Amino acid sequence: MAEFFQYVVAASLVIAGIFGIVGSFGLIKLNDPMSRLHAPTKATTLGVGGVLIASMVHALMVEHHLSVHELLITIFLFLTAPITANFIAKAHIHRHCTAEDLPDPAPDARWAGLTEEEADTPDAQ
Amino acid sequence: MSLILLAALPFLGAVFPALLIRAGRDASSGAAGMVTLIAFVGLMTNAPAVMRGEVVTAQLSWLPSLGLNAHFFLDGLGLLFAGLILGIGLLIILYARYYLSREDPMGQFYTYLLLFQGAMVGIVLSDNILLLLVFWELTSLSSFLLIGYWRHLPEGRQGARMALTVTGAGGLAMIGGMLILGNIAGSYDLSVILTQKDAIQASPMYIPALILILLGAFTKSAQFPFHFWLPHAMAAPTPVSAYLHSATMVKAGLFLMARMWPVLAGTDAWFYIVATTGLVTMVTAAVIALFKDDLKALLAFSTVSHLGLITMLLGFGTPYAAVAAVFHIINHATFKAALFMSAGIIDHEAGTRDIKQLGGLRTLMPLTFVMSTIASLSMAGLPPFNGFISKEMMLEQTLHTEWYSNPWIVAVLATVGAMFSAAYSFRYIAHVFLGPKRESYPHSLHDPVPGLWLSPAFLVTLVVVIGLFPATLAEGIVDVAAGAVTGGASGHVHLKLWHGINAPLMMSIVAILVGLLLIWTYARIRGVWDAARRPEAKTMFDAVVRALTGLSRAVTDTLHDGTVTRYAAIFLLFTLGLGWLAWSGGATAAPDRVLLMGNSLTIVGWFCLVGSTACLVAFHRNRLMALVILGVVGLMISMMFNYLSAPDLALTQLSVEVVTIILLLLALNFMPRETPAEGAGLRQVRNVGLAAVGGLGVGGLMYAILSRNPVMESISQYHLDNSYSGGGGTNVVNVILVDFRGYDTFGEIIVLGIAAIVIFAITEAILDGPVRARLLNRKPPEPRAGDTHPLMMVVATRVMMPIALMVAAYIFFRGHNLPGGGFIAGLVAAIAVIMQYMASGFSWAAARQRFPYHGIIGSGVLIAAVTGLGAWFNDLPFLTSAFGYVTIPPLEKFELATAALFDLGVFLAVVGAVMLALESLSRYAWQPGMVSEYPMDINPVRDDGDAEEQEGAQ
Repeated sequence: MAEFFQYVVAASLVIAGIFGIVGSFGLIKLNDPMSRLHAPTKATTLGVGGVLIASMVHALMVEHHLSVHELLITIFLFLTAPITANFIAKAHIHRHCTAEDLPDPAPDARWAGLTEEEADTPDAQ
Repeated sequence: MSLILLAALPFLGAVFPALLIRAGRDASSGAAGMVTLIAFVGLMTNAPAVMRGEVVTAQLSWLPSLGLNAHFFLDGLGLLFAGLILGIGLLIILYARYYLSREDPMGQFYTYLLLFQGAMVGIVLSDNILLLLVFWELTSLSSFLLIGYWRHLPEGRQGARMALTVTGAGGLAMIGGMLILGNIAGSYDLSVILTQKDAIQASPMYIPALILILLGAFTKSAQFPFHFWLPHAMAAPTPVSAYLHSATMVKAGLFLMARMWPVLAGTDAWFYIVATTGLVTMVTAAVIALFKDDLKALLAFSTVSHLGLITMLLGFGTPYAAVAAVFHIINHATFKAALFMSAGIIDHEAGTRDIKQLGGLRTLMPLTFVMSTIASLSMAGLPPFNGFISKEMMLEQTLHTEWYSNPWIVAVLATVGAMFSAAYSFRYIAHVFLGPKRESYPHSLHDPVPGLWLSPAFLVTLVVVIGLFPATLAEGIVDVAAGAVTGGASGHVHLKLWHGINAPLMMSIVAILVGLLLIWTYARIRGVWDAARRPEAKTMFDAVVRALTGLSRAVTDTLHDGTVTRYAAIFLLFTLGLGWLAWSGGATAAPDRVLLMGNSLTIVGWFCLVGSTACLVAFHRNRLMALVILGVVGLMISMMFNYLSAPDLALTQLSVEVVTIILLLLALNFMPRETPAEGAGLRQVRNVGLAAVGGLGVGGLMYAILSRNPVMESISQYHLDNSYSGGGGTNVVNVILVDFRGYDTFGEIIVLGIAAIVIFAITEAILDGPVRARLLNRKPPEPRAGDTHPLMMVVATRVMMPIALMVAAYIFFRGHNLPGGGFIAGLVAAIAVIMQYMASGFSWAAARQRFPYHGIIGSGVLIAAVTGLGAWFNDLPFLTSAFGYVTIPPLEKFELATAALFDLGVFLAVVGAVMLALESLSRYAWQPGMVSEYPMDINPVRDDGDAEEQEGAQ
């Protein structure tokens, strides 16, 4: 039985490794920030997730104790990853987009990342 | 009254005038007078015992291991001086109340005066020479404050600086001399030193000690060639001149010579140095005084001359000369303080103290005329005033003194000094009060209010009655004082006015006649004097000071010209030199440690570290990039700590890293994105070369250390063995911090707090200045994005805050036994708060922060101190920790240690210091309009109207 779980652990690790490499490769390879935003998500979800699953399974089935540290790591990832993505996107809009490039925001709002001047100019379209 | 209380009283009382000035000038001066009066009465309660010949003592151990103890004793000499200091102090306080004008800050004046008084009383009562030195320096400092009391006058400031420089330098010399003396005698207590005459005079270090101590005494007592500061100190208000520069402070040097007389006097070196200096000072200053037009300058030089006279008498080394010296100290204090106060009255009423603008005042100010005349005649040495008696005693002594086997030169020079002394005294009367009345004076003239003339009148009365009845009034005190100076060798003293017609009387008559002649022909002599070229002391002093300032500025400017590269180069060069010196000077053992093989983990870590460092060199011009790479280096180091079983260090490094990066990001806000390009050429070669040599040197040193076993057994094993049994904790690092080396930690948190407060203070200073406007009008280098406080970030940090604080608490509590502790917990808690600042903006978060960070720092230091003090109640040394184990079901058995309380202090100090530093830096970036009413800029829940307003405000 233990051998089976060792295969599970190994498979999770390999999957995690593949996604980690894909994410990192994408980060280098993709052209613009918005596409790049895409790449690291592979690493933070399946990449890290695979390692965590492997670690938990290993602890439970091979070392026979329940480990919950991994859950904490997951929670912190849940908390931080969206904010990082949010900031990268905001930075991109701020540095590369004008109001014309973007779809119209809701009537009472504006695009958050635009410079104040750009956001305040009446709609050019 | 106990002598300790007596010495402390003026210092304690110094608070009252400064506080009571709010209740008015009378209350302030009354408080100062009351303090002095109490001290005087306290002194007098000890007087009967001293007059019986006893020595009153009071002892308090201070730092016995250094030989520094608060030992006081009062003998005849001390009683005489303390009586002069406190008695004349009372008169001066009364006089100053009416002398100072409404605009002068009187509370400050009396506070300084009492501080000075305390320092003087301390000098004359000290039994310990180290304690005496402390008081000695205090007189220099407090007199600096008093001379520079009129801050708006450049003369006052310059005079104060000059006095401080000269007397301070002398004080430094004296410290050296006293230490040598204490070393020879084997004790720093005067009562011991004074019994060691033979040992001291036989020691080869006697001459150096003598010269150093005399340097201190001569500078303080304005002896030639250090006399020049005294006339410039006359820029002080007249009460200060009367008090410090005639009656007390300048006599401190004489006091010291008299105090040390039993052990230092009697040798040839003493005679030739002290007597000659005194004689030269007496004659030179008397000559200069005759040609001074400023009343106070005239009196200043006359003071210098009389101090020279007393120094000369002490230098003779005979008991009878010492008696004369002691008696003249009393006489000079009475007539000179009276003269200074009269000069102050003339200045106050006439608006000038220039003799050339005065004259004919006798009918306008009859009272001042009478007082000044009597005091001047005493100064000139005319009977029946007290100055006459001591001058006769002085002349008598000069007749018995041979100078290099020359029996008459001292007597002749002393007579010359007496001539000029008589001449300037007569001039003071003739050119100020006699002569024709002028058409106009700067002010309308009349005698002053009683408050101003009472003090000099009292002193003038003393001048007369001591002159008439010396045996009744002065003999007792002179007897005990001279007995104390000479160690009883003076026998019983007899003072009388009339000794019959003898040689000294003849010399006096000659001196007075020539003095009159000099005044008769003053105009002609003055012409000759004015035509002569004379060295000007102030110019020379200024030139020396300017040269020294120039030199130090040149050195500093060459070494620190503002380029960091140069600092670094100098620092590296110096360190390399030291390293080379140490390396070439010592022996090194052969490498005796086995090389360990690296595993894959360490090799990856090594590559990351070296790679990121290389990247830092390559991309160092882009500041932001450099910061990111720096972060990588920091993370790698903390991982390395962890790998090498130092989890405490790893945790600390990690949290410090976060705080540092945020701090640097804040700073980068104000800097260009790129560093300026370095020039090519020779300098670049030098820099690269130095850096390479420095890096290789450190690397080589590390390798050398790592490849050898320690020469001596390290202390680690002791800590490991005693951590649990002695400190009650299993985390050795934490036990070292809060227990074994708790005193260091205590010092460190204080330094940390001071550093943060200094950052705050510098920020305050800068933001108060012209930079503020520039910062407010600063255009950000990049256009600012909207939505500075995004919803997601705000919500996430709020969720994180309790978790982070809980982590901090957890790290704090487990610190004693597992990795953690107050320092790391403090950093984590600070990061939790910083997150709020980052997410919701500085203004919003600062408005919701209720505890000032200064207070947090202070409470941290206080808690640590109080915890440490707690050990005293159990008769244990400061910071000894106690611990015990408690079981409260259902919890596990846990430990309670006072070290945890100490750690709480560390925690608070760290939180406060980090936050205060970050907050200060953030304030530079503040610009108008940056006030956010809401924690987040865009909040879908909020009413739309509010959102619009919010945007409008942005």
